[in-house]
Amino acid sequence: MNIKKAVITAAGKNQRTLPLQSLVDRDGVSKTALAIIIEEALSAGVEEIGLVVHPGDQPAFAAAAGSHASRLTFIEQTQPLGYGHAVASARGFTGANPFLLMVGDHLYVSSESKGCARQLVEMASSQDASVSAVQATHESKLPYYGAIGGKRVAGVSELYEVSEVLEKPTPTEAEQRLIVPGLRAGHYLCFFGMHVLTPSVMEILSSLVASKPNGGIHLSAALSTLARRERYLAAELKGRRYDIGARFGLLTAQLALSLSGADRDEVLAGLVELLAARKP
Amino acid sequence: MQSLVGLITSADPAVRNQSLDVCCRGASVQELIAATRELDTFRRGAENLYERVRALFFLAAIHRFHLPAVLEKSGTSPELSALIPFRGYEQLLQRRFEEAIDTFLALQESSGPSDGISSALASAYHRLGFQTLADQVRRSVRTVRGNQWMFRMGHPGDQPLRIRPDLLQRSPEGAFPILREQTPVRMDLTHSAWSDIFFLGMDYPEGARVLNVSVDLGVHGRDASPRPPVSAWLRVLDEPVLRLTSVDLGATADVTALSDVFDFARDYLGLLKAAVIASGIVPPGIEGSGHSLAELLAQIVGPGRGLELVSSVNDIPKGSRLAVSTNLLGSLISVCMRATGQASSLTGELQESERRLVLARALLGEWLGGSGGGWQDSGGVWPGIKLITGVAAESGDPESGVSRGRLMPTHSVYDRDAIPESARKALQDSLVVVHGGMAQNVGPILEMVTEKYLLRSEREWHGRQDALTVLDEVISALRRGDIKALAAATTRNFREPIQTIIPWASTRYTELLIERAAAAFGQDFWGFWMLGGMSGGGMGFIFAPHRKQEAQAKLQEIMSATKRELQHALPFAMEPVVFDYAINEHGTFADLLAGDAALMPHGYYALTVPRLVRQDRQDLPLARRAELDTVGAAARTRPELRGLVQNLFDALLPRGRAETRAGASLPELLEQNGFDRAQHEQIRRDLTGGRIGLAQNRLRADSVIEDVRDSDVACVEGAAAVAARAAGERALRQGEVAVVTLAAGAGSRWTQGAGVCKALHPFAKLAGRHRTFIETHLAKSRRTSRAYGAVLPHVFTTSYATQNPTELFLKAVDGYGYEGPLLLSPGRSVGLRMVPTERDLRFAWEEMPQQRLDEQQQKVRESLRAALIGWARSAGEASDYTDNLPLQCMHPVGHWYEVPNLFRNGVLARLLRERPSLRWLLLHNIDTLGADVDPALLGHHIQSGAALTFEVITRRLEDRGGGLARVNQQPRLVEGLAMPREEDEFRLRYYNSMTTWIDLDRLLDVFGLSRQIILAAGEGDSAGSRAASETITAAIRTLAARMPTYVTLKEVKKRWGHGQEDIFPVTQFEKLWGDMTAVSGIDCRFVRVPRPRGQQLKDQAQLDGWLRDGSAAFVENLCEWK
Repeated sequence: MNIKKAVITAAGKNQRTLPLQSLVDRDGVSKTALAIIIEEALSAGVEEIGLVVHPGDQPAFAAAAGSHASRLTFIEQTQPLGYGHAVASARGFTGANPFLLMVGDHLYVSSESKGCARQLVEMASSQDASVSAVQATHESKLPYYGAIGGKRVAGVSELYEVSEVLEKPTPTEAEQRLIVPGLRAGHYLCFFGMHVLTPSVMEILSSLVASKPNGGIHLSAALSTLARRERYLAAELKGRRYDIGARFGLLTAQLALSLSGADRDEVLAGLVELLAARKP
Repeated sequence: MQSLVGLITSADPAVRNQSLDVCCRGASVQELIAATRELDTFRRGAENLYERVRALFFLAAIHRFHLPAVLEKSGTSPELSALIPFRGYEQLLQRRFEEAIDTFLALQESSGPSDGISSALASAYHRLGFQTLADQVRRSVRTVRGNQWMFRMGHPGDQPLRIRPDLLQRSPEGAFPILREQTPVRMDLTHSAWSDIFFLGMDYPEGARVLNVSVDLGVHGRDASPRPPVSAWLRVLDEPVLRLTSVDLGATADVTALSDVFDFARDYLGLLKAAVIASGIVPPGIEGSGHSLAELLAQIVGPGRGLELVSSVNDIPKGSRLAVSTNLLGSLISVCMRATGQASSLTGELQESERRLVLARALLGEWLGGSGGGWQDSGGVWPGIKLITGVAAESGDPESGVSRGRLMPTHSVYDRDAIPESARKALQDSLVVVHGGMAQNVGPILEMVTEKYLLRSEREWHGRQDALTVLDEVISALRRGDIKALAAATTRNFREPIQTIIPWASTRYTELLIERAAAAFGQDFWGFWMLGGMSGGGMGFIFAPHRKQEAQAKLQEIMSATKRELQHALPFAMEPVVFDYAINEHGTFADLLAGDAALMPHGYYALTVPRLVRQDRQDLPLARRAELDTVGAAARTRPELRGLVQNLFDALLPRGRAETRAGASLPELLEQNGFDRAQHEQIRRDLTGGRIGLAQNRLRADSVIEDVRDSDVACVEGAAAVAARAAGERALRQGEVAVVTLAAGAGSRWTQGAGVCKALHPFAKLAGRHRTFIETHLAKSRRTSRAYGAVLPHVFTTSYATQNPTELFLKAVDGYGYEGPLLLSPGRSVGLRMVPTERDLRFAWEEMPQQRLDEQQQKVRESLRAALIGWARSAGEASDYTDNLPLQCMHPVGHWYEVPNLFRNGVLARLLRERPSLRWLLLHNIDTLGADVDPALLGHHIQSGAALTFEVITRRLEDRGGGLARVNQQPRLVEGLAMPREEDEFRLRYYNSMTTWIDLDRLLDVFGLSRQIILAAGEGDSAGSRAASETITAAIRTLAARMPTYVTLKEVKKRWGHGQEDIFPVTQFEKLWGDMTAVSGIDCRFVRVPRPRGQQLKDQAQLDGWLRDGSAAFVENLCEWK
């Protein structure tokens, strides 16, 4: 499997301005979140990026992408019918190719030299299957994510064969259907906001779009079908995701980026100063 | 004797299912002791739960039934037996069963086996067996997938549940929609021989099978048509509270603290609280965390918001045996799960996996609430007719390696191909379902069933196999639509397997109903069908379809008439009712009520609106105001809300009590029964002043309490017995003897304060029929009379509570054809119960040794006790207890008075006139069934020259409440209430049976009276007679003043609503006969008698052991029936 295309979604109601926020990257350079995400995709070997945006947002995003703007293909999601619909909008862009799917409001900090996207793309290439990045997540966070159930793939660490996908499951459902051997009690594998998907997903999404004209089209539902149709894997990557849309999300993401990069000492010193100056 | 461990571990069912009784038959003491050693060693190392439990029950049975029998035969002398150690008893109370067993075993090793130690070991093994089973069910409930997370969640921030957005969509007026769940109840068509007890299903899954039908109900003649009888209602609130309302129990509360959610017995909202917890809204893991409920609710519903949960039962009475409360719990859990996204659809039916989850959660909820239903009880959650079966545990199941079966059964719903529509209709056209009105605690029965199953008691085991064939017959008949065959099968089930396993499943009431239905309908009465744990409550009668309608009316008539006959003999909680019903093909079902339809059930507003109208409208939240407007409009237009305005008025301005009560008032009854107001006020002053009370009942702390010496207790045996017998027989032949049975009490323990007349209770089948206590005592006197050719006069003492019912009853049964004088001795004293003092309640509950309950039940009990202390404070400590039926507010003043009453009420005078030769009385309690006029004991008393001879028995663990002691060197009976220290009782070998031989003249002498005075008082209304009466009254008062007065706490039932019952502790006082042994100048002696003669039946749970250990046969041998 050769992955040269990526789709980044940024059309969600609460996502439209997030990628435009500026942060200081690990190398100490100030850039927008969008630029950081694009660089993450490019570092994985991707050559073309489809950016799904709300109609009319293209100029702002083009500006935010800076020097990478030329690599972007803008795709407008005409109606807000769900995340699955946003992804499906890019079907014309991805065509018959596998693609890397990322969300515009998540940043990733890898704990090794390879970026998270690269780890995922390499895994998908070697396994020749759709792979979703997942992270063991405490059950109290289940209302925010899609989650998978499955079993470990023999011989490959942190790789799972997916049998079940549920969108924002209750812990009750999760406990009954999403048990994965080897995880800590009360933890489930939740999506990381990053997938490598085969064209089958686009097919499934299209039929979902056709059957649900009023929306409510979730990627999880398509992935659930995918798991029944072909080999579909999930991988725990070496790295963490930061949701910049969450409360203090941008701040946390910034701190994570800085503490893992060139400005670590400066930021740490600033933090210590803040703590010391804090009144009891 | 074969190895009993082999019986437990064998893989061969032919060996494993052998009966313990058969294996122990003929074994010697040594062999039995060796067997118990082997079993005890085995059970300590056994990994498998059921092997361990079965060994425990084997041990309990050997110590309860087999060892005592052979010890008795081997003539072990009580003088040489070791006493039951108090330390072991305390360990039992603390539920430290293993330690208690070690304590008792150590003593058995050092002192040899004895009846007393075996009784203690039997109790310890028995309780450890049930504790082990309960622990396992609890563990299994927690490990069911879908339940586990709730035990991990300890912080509001971790709450993963969110309200479904549909429930947050306000109407234009601002009201939130209401989610309504309606659930049928379940009928069990096969009774199942109690195979739905969890323990059975988990050990014998292949034998756990029931045919369970979901039904809608209506009360015949009251409701237009049957509908789902239970419903649960949920909506979002604009306030950060959990508002719980039980419409049927008339209770509502705003819960604002997390700890209150876990306080189950604080109010009538325990079931709703259990549902909120078991559905994960307030997960069990957060108990005791100290976090805020508002924070938790904010996480689920949003900041500043809360939830309201309402339960409603369509006025179906309690004890219907239709699992109303379990299905209501299921309904509540289901609505909570739907609302928080734990079911895929917000409305409509549930999916199979979701129903199973509701079942798992209902099990959890029942455990939390300290109760426990059968595993089929949530059947109403499923649709239509289904077979519920046990499932063998497989690897990967939490039960695997622990028990043979899974905790949760599987449900196979029959479709129309399996049971056609015509068969369903035929069933409904023939079956009349009723509630007979009796409410009984089935807990002891379920324990008996479990025990008998584990012991594979021969007859019972065959009964169980037979019940399984009945189930196949029922299914086959139903498939064919052959209801007559079905009725034959259910009748046989009731007559044979059910009563083989548990004879107590039937009652005299049930037998009469069947008899009368058969008489009224002849061939058209097709059969009887028992529902649930025992009969008398919910029951089914099957008729030819063309007579069903007539049968509904007739059955109501028969039940009401039969109830009237037996209402003083059996505990009825309510008027019998006939139900209309229909099979419900949906199971639990939800709909969303929005806009004008968003109204809570009828009855909810009568409870809540009065409080709201007292508030300023501006202070009400927006949604509340909108709701009130909707209700106001609906009350004008919707026919089902027609009575609302009237109900509101009733709730705002309650009518006076006088309007609602019938019959004599309490003051009238007190007046009629010789209530002494001055004495009552004195008692109140003493009580509030702390001069009397539970703590003051005790003898002085410096009293020296010792066991009696061997010479203090006679034993009538050998040559002495021969001579004594001759003397006794002579007295009998000469007509010198009469029997006095004490029957004034209401049998508080027998029916937990239901206020029935114990003497009239048809407690067991003897010689093939249910017999009352009175009939049994008369049958013994009949046998003695016939044997010695002189009829024995038999007197039953009564009280205000028992006189009329006993008189009427004896008239109806024509005195059971008793040949001799049969007299009632009416009481002449009555007391008025009082609200207890907090001091006494705390003394009873905190300072007296208490049986600790299983963990969750203990929590519930503590919460209930806190509520009862609150009740005592608010009702007024030591104030008159008047908030109940008048008869339930009064109390008899102790059995001491029942003897001098004979002097006062003319009964003794009449006896003396009719038979001047009368010299000896046998006095005994109504529940001492083995007491009869034994000539040897009578002769012993005559020869001894004593005034009173008291019969005592050797003590077993369960014989609590005093005994025979030397108090400061003086042998006497000491009441348990008077023991200065609890442990003193455990130093006493003998227990008081209360049976007393009386030398009449010497007794009169003690009172300073004579035959002449008694006779004179009984002679009409002359001056001499009046003077004699006054002398008697004064004599009684003088001796009474020398007798100690005990303050006691008794339980009294208050009945309300539809078969609901509350139990309150009340204070009363009493003087007790045994204290005659402490009065100086009375020559009292003591004689040891065998246990079957001296033991008392205080509690219905004793009946099964009484039957099994040969006591019943002993009594039957003493009787000659009419």
